[in-house]
Amino acid sequence: MLISIFILLLISVVAIALVVASGTESSLAGNYRSSTGVYYAAVAGLEEVRARLRPQDPNSFKNTDSGFLPAGGAPLASCSPVYVINPVGGETVAPWDPASTYPDTEFNQEFAGICTLPNPSPRAFSIWNRAPLNGLPFPGPLYKWVRINGVSEKSLNLDVGPAYDNFKDLTPVYYDGALNNANSGKQVLEVTALAVLPNGSQKILQYLVAPVPITLPPFLAALTLSGSQNGTDAAFHAPANNSVYAVKGDGDQDCNGNPLPSKVAIGIYGPYQGVGNLNNAVNSVKSGIPSFPPSTAAQSNYTGQGAWPDVEHLTLPFQTPSQLDAIVQTIVQSADVVITPGSATSPTPYTSYAPDLHAAVTTAGMSSSYPVSAVVNGNLDVSDWGAGGYGYAPGYGLLLVTGTFTYDPDTNWNGIVLVIGQGAVGNTQHGGSNVINGAVFVAKTRDASGLLPDLGGASVMFDALMQGNGIRYNSCWIQKSQPTSSYQILSFHEISQ
Amino acid sequence: MNLAPSDRRHLGFTLIELLVALGIFLVITGAAFTLLDSSQKHYQSESQVLTSFQEARLALDQIVRDVNDAGYPPPTFASTDPTQFASTPFAWSPNYPGTPCQIGTGAGGTCGTPGDFDLIIETNPNPKDPSCAPCPVQWIRYQLQLPPLVQVPTLMRGMAPKFGNNPSGAFTGANALVPFVQNVVNSPAQPIFSYTCDTSTPPQSPPLPCTIATTADKSPANIRDVIVTLIVAAPVPDITTGQPRVVQLIGRGRRVNPNQ
Repeated sequence: MLISIFILLLISVVAIALVVASGTESSLAGNYRSSTGVYYAAVAGLEEVRARLRPQDPNSFKNTDSGFLPAGGAPLASCSPVYVINPVGGETVAPWDPASTYPDTEFNQEFAGICTLPNPSPRAFSIWNRAPLNGLPFPGPLYKWVRINGVSEKSLNLDVGPAYDNFKDLTPVYYDGALNNANSGKQVLEVTALAVLPNGSQKILQYLVAPVPITLPPFLAALTLSGSQNGTDAAFHAPANNSVYAVKGDGDQDCNGNPLPSKVAIGIYGPYQGVGNLNNAVNSVKSGIPSFPPSTAAQSNYTGQGAWPDVEHLTLPFQTPSQLDAIVQTIVQSADVVITPGSATSPTPYTSYAPDLHAAVTTAGMSSSYPVSAVVNGNLDVSDWGAGGYGYAPGYGLLLVTGTFTYDPDTNWNGIVLVIGQGAVGNTQHGGSNVINGAVFVAKTRDASGLLPDLGGASVMFDALMQGNGIRYNSCWIQKSQPTSSYQILSFHEISQ
Repeated sequence: MNLAPSDRRHLGFTLIELLVALGIFLVITGAAFTLLDSSQKHYQSESQVLTSFQEARLALDQIVRDVNDAGYPPPTFASTDPTQFASTPFAWSPNYPGTPCQIGTGAGGTCGTPGDFDLIIETNPNPKDPSCAPCPVQWIRYQLQLPPLVQVPTLMRGMAPKFGNNPSGAFTGANALVPFVQNVVNSPAQPIFSYTCDTSTPPQSPPLPCTIATTADKSPANIRDVIVTLIVAAPVPDITTGQPRVVQLIGRGRRVNPNQ
């Protein structure tokens, strides 16, 4: 009897040891799995928000929760964070409430002495709490909330340019290739995600993000025209009877009204060899500027860096059609509006008209504070856009036309006009006194056979009777109209808890 | 003499019976204690393996976390003070911060660090710590050291404030490396650290192992992933086979911060 009990005791000891050992091992493996799982859950939250910040995203906040972010691209204040919440199974997620299950304690640490977390703060639901994903039989990533807020030097505890004055102020931080607090470029947003697993594992990860501008050709002239040695020279014909039509590279100002150096009025660019060929190309364009009475008054309307008429050769990158075509494709992929003539909105094949463009950009929310990127994959005729026609208000943003652009001088456009592809601009309407503020870039990269081997000669041919005031170079509108592709990750950091 | 049945019950055991009983008892208890001793040794051995496993797991977690954070804050935070931003996610030697060396494996490449058993991460682990304002960027180094520098092969770890142009020389004095994981038995054929590098030539491809990347790509500034392979032996070999008991853990850290 005693022996049996003794043996049983020994066996029990061994069994307990094995159970403890296997339990410890399972626990260790589980911890690692939790650590990895919660990390990726938090990353999922960050990435969802990064995607939804893009207005072009189908689930963008602009589409799903209008008013969630400041309208018209206005900066998001540091002390006014907004939250994307992702409750599971009916739980309450209220990070702004210190008494809630998942409070945002990090905010008060970052903004200690600056402000306290507004209670409540604006919130939107994650895509996992919206149709159709909320109908899935399994839960989405287990992040609880994602906070979006602006940042300042003080909240970052970092001195940024351009002053580097060792004083950390509360001005919003922007990004123009480097962080700055001089309102240059796009606002930097801080995106912070908390993920919590059912076993209690939790992690806070943080991005700083900012929209990335698409690389466009530099705008060194109010009107830039392509041409090449192996292609053809650019052609320009000003409205011969219009003494007020002007293309001006001077008088440029930044968005604060400060004067900026003059740019070229009309620039010719492309692969040319030899001064003689360049001069021929420049003179060819000059010959299209009328010198009707009184004397050369019309030519004096083309002012910029050089003597009038200011037509100069420019040295620019993007010297081949394929390079420009790549830019076009990038813009198309991230544009607010893409119109393909011949579609339902443009019943007449191959050409879109003013109402098509106006309807599309209005739907996209175009305004002076929210310039849009609009692409017409084909011909565009904006005749009757403005007063006397449809009476549409000015356009704002980037307008890309890959076919022929039929302009109307009662159209007012503030921003960038790219005519890349067929590279042809003309008119059918005459009346109007409006102007394009920004820059116009016309390049011929294609013909009926497809992509050209060399840049062709851009064509801007207005008839003699066309009215209108022409083109004014404007750096402010160029900057505001700069299209962006996505929100770039400027930094990533795991916050110790 | 005939005894009454009631008297027979008081006669006791014979000597032979006692000896047999004692023998059986000794055999059984001997076997039991042998089993107990064996169990205890197994238990101790398993405990040591688990301890090694736990140390290795914690180490792997820490390395992966440091790699994920590498390069914070990035150069786009541009300050005039280089101690306030990471010039590169991973520091190198020689020629830091000049022309980057070439990552290789074994005797290949020109990098002293990063290498198969040496890695220096440049990051600010706690930028908003109110106790140090401004908190400088740190160099975090992982380096395998072998006897006689240490008693057993040991993965060392250390942190040193970023200062000057010699990251590999920064870990002295108060910033000296300290033991992080002991009994690391990675061999040259099983490096602790291996790397993937971003590809710069369009079209943008997924990162490639740095050792087969182009010369332009196999730069420490271009590292995207650090694959960590930790092979750790328990202090005592297996009691039955005499062979070392090892655990092998593999993890991957991905640098998210931009490198420029």
